[in-house]
Amino acid sequence: MLKKNIITSLLLLLVMLLAACTEGTNVDNQSSNSENEGSNGPLIIGFEADATTLMANHDVNYVTDTLLRNIYDPLIDRAGESGEFVPVLAESWENIDEKTWRIKLKEGIKFHNGADFNANSVKYSIDYILNEENGSFYRSRWANVDEVVVLSDYEVEIRTAVPFPSIIQRIAEDLLIVEPGYVEEVGIDKASKEPVGTGAYTFVDWSRDNYLKLKAFDGYWKGKPAIEEVEFKIIPEFSARMSAFMSGEIHLFKNIPVDSVSQFGEDEIGQVSSARINYLALSNLVEGPLKDVKVRQAINYAIDADEILETVLSGYGTRITGPLSQINIDYVATEDYGYDPDLAVKLLEEAGYKPEDITLTLDTPSGRYPMDSHVAQAIASQLQAIGIKVNVQVNEWGKHLEKIQKRETGDMFILGWGPAFDGQSTIENLFTLEAPYSSFYDEGIEAKIKATNQLFDQNERITGYAEIQQDLVDQAAWVPLWQQADLYAINSSLNFSPRVDEKINAFEMSWK
Amino acid sequence: MLDFIIKRILQVILVVFLALTVVFFLVRLSGDPTTLFLPPDAPKEQIEEYRELLGFNRPLYVQYGEFMFNAIQGDFGESLRSGEDALGLVLQRMPATFQLAISALALSLLIAIPLGVFSAYKRNTIFDRLSVGITVIGQAIPNFWFGLILIYIFAAQLKILPSSGGGSIAHMVLPVATLALYSISRFVRFTRSAMLDVLNKDYIRTSKAAGAPTSSLIMKYALKNSLIPIITLVALDLGVLLGGAVITEAVFSWPGVGRLLHQSLMNRDFPIVLAGVFIIAIIYAVINFIADILYAYVNPQIRVK
Repeated sequence: MLKKNIITSLLLLLVMLLAACTEGTNVDNQSSNSENEGSNGPLIIGFEADATTLMANHDVNYVTDTLLRNIYDPLIDRAGESGEFVPVLAESWENIDEKTWRIKLKEGIKFHNGADFNANSVKYSIDYILNEENGSFYRSRWANVDEVVVLSDYEVEIRTAVPFPSIIQRIAEDLLIVEPGYVEEVGIDKASKEPVGTGAYTFVDWSRDNYLKLKAFDGYWKGKPAIEEVEFKIIPEFSARMSAFMSGEIHLFKNIPVDSVSQFGEDEIGQVSSARINYLALSNLVEGPLKDVKVRQAINYAIDADEILETVLSGYGTRITGPLSQINIDYVATEDYGYDPDLAVKLLEEAGYKPEDITLTLDTPSGRYPMDSHVAQAIASQLQAIGIKVNVQVNEWGKHLEKIQKRETGDMFILGWGPAFDGQSTIENLFTLEAPYSSFYDEGIEAKIKATNQLFDQNERITGYAEIQQDLVDQAAWVPLWQQADLYAINSSLNFSPRVDEKINAFEMSWK
Repeated sequence: MLDFIIKRILQVILVVFLALTVVFFLVRLSGDPTTLFLPPDAPKEQIEEYRELLGFNRPLYVQYGEFMFNAIQGDFGESLRSGEDALGLVLQRMPATFQLAISALALSLLIAIPLGVFSAYKRNTIFDRLSVGITVIGQAIPNFWFGLILIYIFAAQLKILPSSGGGSIAHMVLPVATLALYSISRFVRFTRSAMLDVLNKDYIRTSKAAGAPTSSLIMKYALKNSLIPIITLVALDLGVLLGGAVITEAVFSWPGVGRLLHQSLMNRDFPIVLAGVFIIAIIYAVINFIADILYAYVNPQIRVK
């Protein structure tokens, strides 16, 4: 009898637990409503991952930054189509001397909590990065900044320890302005969960890895946003994002895989050539045949990047032929090696190799860049066509990055670099001994890079980078592949133009 | 009984300790996390500086010793990325995972036990064959695939249920159905065979001969005894479900523990991974501990052993 009661009570307990779990958990059923399209409904954006924190200037991460730019404003931004610098909270900026930058700020701008935006908030935001205790991962990029001096309410001066010509780029890509009074009052912990900025949208609710809800800021200095409510809904799986898009649950998402484009209507696809470039690195730092320039040139001739772009990527991408893409301000045209397998074999012979004697290892990530591991397979088969044996090694992303940084890759690897808007931040991080991201090194070229980076005269810089680009092509430093195509699924009732810097600013969108 | 309980508690502690140790060294094998956190253009000195700041430049055994020392006091450190309390982040996710696990388990039991009993009772009939056939298929279907099919039918085509996310009962239907499919199949097969076992026992035949009505024969005598081994099965399944159904949570974007751990592992956010393993190991061990005690309570033979 007792046992019977126990089993009955267990079952009863289970039913009660079930009831307890479901009742009262209906926090918000709005997002499941598929009929919310139209001129006044909330905009729901499907996003692949969630921000790790809502504190600005902390986590170097595309996802975090993209979400935060709807809440915080930068001093300087990039134009969505061209990538050129445009002032936002800054009015203007000038270079006083090699180590001093002066920034004039816009007046009359308010934070979401009503506080005034001024020079103090700029100083506070940069100091947040510089203060070791805060553990901001941006600090490495700002280490050259000595101090930020408030000259007046709307003027700040940034003093650097060494000449820092790329500081404007750092300001545009990294720095978002926080409200000092608010952070001081509530503490960093709370400010990391309930942010206050000057941006177009104010914070409403954040359920980690679930959603981030925002509301239009009535007092926004550029005018009230066209869309009243915005929700970023976190959906890591592509197929789930696609289903959510098809059912009308979300109106916008980024990164349609190129092999799934055909499942969307033509008017539902937005495309832009990203500032991110993909390349095949040819390492002359590991022992092997690639130390010889002729072998590197031969590999350039043996790979038909146009064909891979057309077949593997269905044409979604824009070919590049040198170290920089055309969107890069320091770009100069360099000659394309083209596809010539016979010449490739000839060059190998001149270098003293028979193609059959060469075995190369090619490292690739899987799923980091569009069709990356498929591209690697295609490259391997093209090289095999002239007799070179290639072992493709597929790595998990973290492992891939670590192998590159520790120079433990094979002879070649696939990597992307972006956003690559200017010569310095691209070339400096790819072709110096310090920076491992191309694993190609040449002493003469490094000397030129270092000399050019120190120049402040824009024309001299452009000439310097032009020469470096030519040298790198002559040396066959890598096999340039393409600029990625960023593919967006866009609900037909939404106005949205994809940006070259991959940011998703709800302020720039409206309902049709 | 007290001896038995104390022994089991010591075992729980040992299990948790071993799980933490193994996972600590396994995640460290996956590499140094600093490279993933810093921007790719970070200079070498900066990487070194961060490694020192985060303590990754010290010998592994020192890191392990410090970790264990703090873990015993319930301090798993802070998320390497966001600086928040790691254990807190994991605990925040528990309710969502708990909700999904309990619902899936309850649904499975409510469907599977009657089905299993009936199958056994109607052994070798069409009903029995059908139910066995379906459960074989149910166990064979990978749940990410089943989940995607459900999403396609009910969210993308019929548009009657949300495809992903959490927050309401409607959000729960598809993930719970996906998770329950596998458990139902296991439970039906298990209940059926346990039931068949009992139905062939002498005391059932005797009761039958004594004229006991079929309903009480099954419910009172047979089912009760056949449920004993199912306790273990339920405990194991609940442990697995509460550990976060990683794949199901990912497919349905369910904000539970499984997704947090998966993401943290990809990000090499070690403190979160270890805090998660700690909680899951405890839950797993405690559930099994409860199952053992229940078992011992229902079946005194075990206590004697």
